[in-house]
Amino acid sequence: MFLKVQLPWNVIIPAENLDAKGLMLQRSIIIRLLDEFATKKATKDLGYFLAVTTLENIGEGKVRQTGDVLFPVIFSGITFKLYRGEILEGVVHKVLKHGVFLRCGPVENIYLSYLKMPDYRYVPGENPVFLNDKLSKIEKDVVVRFIVIGTKWLEAEREFQALVSLEGDYLGPVS
Amino acid sequence: MSGEEEENAAELKIGDEFLKAKCLMNCEVSLILEHKYEQLQQMSEDPTNQVSQVFEKSLQYVKRFSRYKNPDAVRQVREVLSRYQLAEFELCVLGNLCPETVEEAIAMVPSLKTKGRVHDDEAIEKMLNDLSLIKRFE
Repeated sequence: MFLKVQLPWNVIIPAENLDAKGLMLQRSIIIRLLDEFATKKATKDLGYFLAVTTLENIGEGKVRQTGDVLFPVIFSGITFKLYRGEILEGVVHKVLKHGVFLRCGPVENIYLSYLKMPDYRYVPGENPVFLNDKLSKIEKDVVVRFIVIGTKWLEAEREFQALVSLEGDYLGPVS
Repeated sequence: MSGEEEENAAELKIGDEFLKAKCLMNCEVSLILEHKYEQLQQMSEDPTNQVSQVFEKSLQYVKRFSRYKNPDAVRQVREVLSRYQLAEFELCVLGNLCPETVEEAIAMVPSLKTKGRVHDDEAIEKMLNDLSLIKRFE
């Protein structure tokens, strides 16, 4: 789910970017914020950081020993987070013997195990697929509607992994 | 896997902070991100350098998975769904997946049928009709 969140953040502006007129300051803060926001990629609680939409408030700057100034700011932004029990659509990007990997929003590691699609069987070949009795096909680039059964935060990679399932009504490949 | 044992979006258990946070439908995110991208394009010649991978992947995704493209239609979808006492989360799941039947809607958003809520099949049917009308006149 995409979320609109309001977040406090500390932005550090190097002394050389400070400017008495204040106009440049606002610009420096926004640029710095966008930069940090992009590098951070994601956090466990809020999910993936997509974009800063508005800068709501710039607090009083505090000069640090180095001469840089730290500004507490509040901004609104968009994030993406997967929830257990949530139903979503994603695109298959890899088919393996034991299941397939899907992409959904900014998340690449969404795993659908063969155990969680019991009516489908693996058909090997140059382009391997999973097929069921109704000839419904799961292959590369197919859109699949699934339910999230578990998520895991990887601190080192700053990424989420998710396990998903097709066990439920109206789940499966979408034509 | 997930540390908080209780989290379950199907029962609308997703943590208080997120029940209050505003959820966004894919089509809304698409409008916002495309606008951002245009802004960046004006600021520099090569906007692909300016955006993060997360931004790029998300933009690709929401472009593909938006049921409504026209900004007026996007606004109407939220307006119409807001009349049905839905949680933010439920509203967005319905707007994203656009179920065609009452049965499908309940499968996508099981919390619609939680005890004590007002959604009878007739109300859900009407809601889905309203949604498909917006799509048809887009």
